[in-house]
Amino acid sequence: MKPELLLSVDTKQRFSLDPRTKLYMLLIFSIVMIDGKTDGISFWLKPALSLLPFLLLLSGRRRKAAAIYLSVFCVSWITNLFLLDYLGTAAKIIVSLLTQLGMRWFPGAMMGYYLLSTTKVSEFVLAMQRMHIPEAFIIPFSVMFRFFPTISEEAESIGNAMRMRGITGKKFFKNPQAVLEYRIVPFMMSVVTIGNDLSAAALTRGLGNGKKRTSICKIGFHWKDLALMLVVTAVLLVFLFFSGGLK
Amino acid sequence: MDKKKLNAKDFINIGIFTVIYFVMFFITGMMGYIPIFAVIIPLGLGILGGIPFMLFLTKTGKFGAATIMGTLVSVLCFLMGQSWISIPFGIVFGFLADLIFHAGKYKNWKYTVLGYCVFTEWVIGSMLPMWIMRDTFFAAYRNNGGTDEYIDAVMNLTANWMLPVVIVLGVVGAVIGAYLGRAILKKHFVKAGIV
Repeated sequence: MKPELLLSVDTKQRFSLDPRTKLYMLLIFSIVMIDGKTDGISFWLKPALSLLPFLLLLSGRRRKAAAIYLSVFCVSWITNLFLLDYLGTAAKIIVSLLTQLGMRWFPGAMMGYYLLSTTKVSEFVLAMQRMHIPEAFIIPFSVMFRFFPTISEEAESIGNAMRMRGITGKKFFKNPQAVLEYRIVPFMMSVVTIGNDLSAAALTRGLGNGKKRTSICKIGFHWKDLALMLVVTAVLLVFLFFSGGLK
Repeated sequence: MDKKKLNAKDFINIGIFTVIYFVMFFITGMMGYIPIFAVIIPLGLGILGGIPFMLFLTKTGKFGAATIMGTLVSVLCFLMGQSWISIPFGIVFGFLADLIFHAGKYKNWKYTVLGYCVFTEWVIGSMLPMWIMRDTFFAAYRNNGGTDEYIDAVMNLTANWMLPVVIVLGVVGAVIGAYLGRAILKKHFVKAGIV
């Protein structure tokens, strides 16, 4: 859990998309890429589709993540298609499990990373409001993303305190009960307390009054959203009709 | 404020506990990347998730809370790049758990344990692609010239008994987790006045 998950501050972006477009692309990715076929039209379709997160990550100025993604995908793709035949049976199974992970799961995961790391919380909330998702889901959702950085901070300081007392993960098997209890209990205590403060603050600002909320964010569909959506929809259709569909 | 319906404070609590629960899921999920250990994800999740979930129930204790939590956890899984299949599982099992908790009026211990067992089964949804992937994986392996006996042996090892085992392990983990959660709740949180 890195603090850069769902930004709350504004960053300069040259290429900003609507959160709904990103969600839609993520959905398509999870349908198309999870399938394991590499023959026929999938042979061209899938590498082409997996270039998309790479370009998007570049446009979101995440060069390092983009480079890692591209190399992992290329290595898994090439290994899986061309090098597997030269390996022995046991090695083949292990290697192909790893490459399948890099080929099928990683593009979707990178798409998710792109979505979370280039969208602001308030943009996401506004997008959900526009999609008419009930408040019962929007409020917990925004609280969740407000809490990920807090939780890693709390866990870190509790880990430091416990290291002073010699209760570390390395000694887990000596005394698992203490490790669990001394870490989880104070952690949850402090998180619950923070949560109480947060809900008091949010109620003061009128969170629970049931009125429609306004936002200063500007989101909307532009030509680039339309273009990307058309592209991924076309990919999905091609995938469904020309490669035998879901199996 | 209406005592029976969820209000803004409950929503915030749901958000917080979903994060804690998800962190627990993440920890067990990390262990699951070692292929053989994937089977024990539901067991670990049940045990680790029990503590936050029991506290969560005593904090909110209203109809709909578990449904929202199940949905949110599975949506988070989706956002982290897993398959969308887990979302319907999260909603359905969350709702079933809610019905059971409601039948016990959120106080009856037996219903609570049963409900938590049902809730833990949502994890099947996030593990389902593994089975689907397994089939295509073996099909590809056969095309590449793998021997049929070997494939059959591996298939027998991992195939059909996996699903019931995962369900049973989920239930076992959830029961352990529920009792652990209640013990810790009594030992620490009641004393500290948090509940």
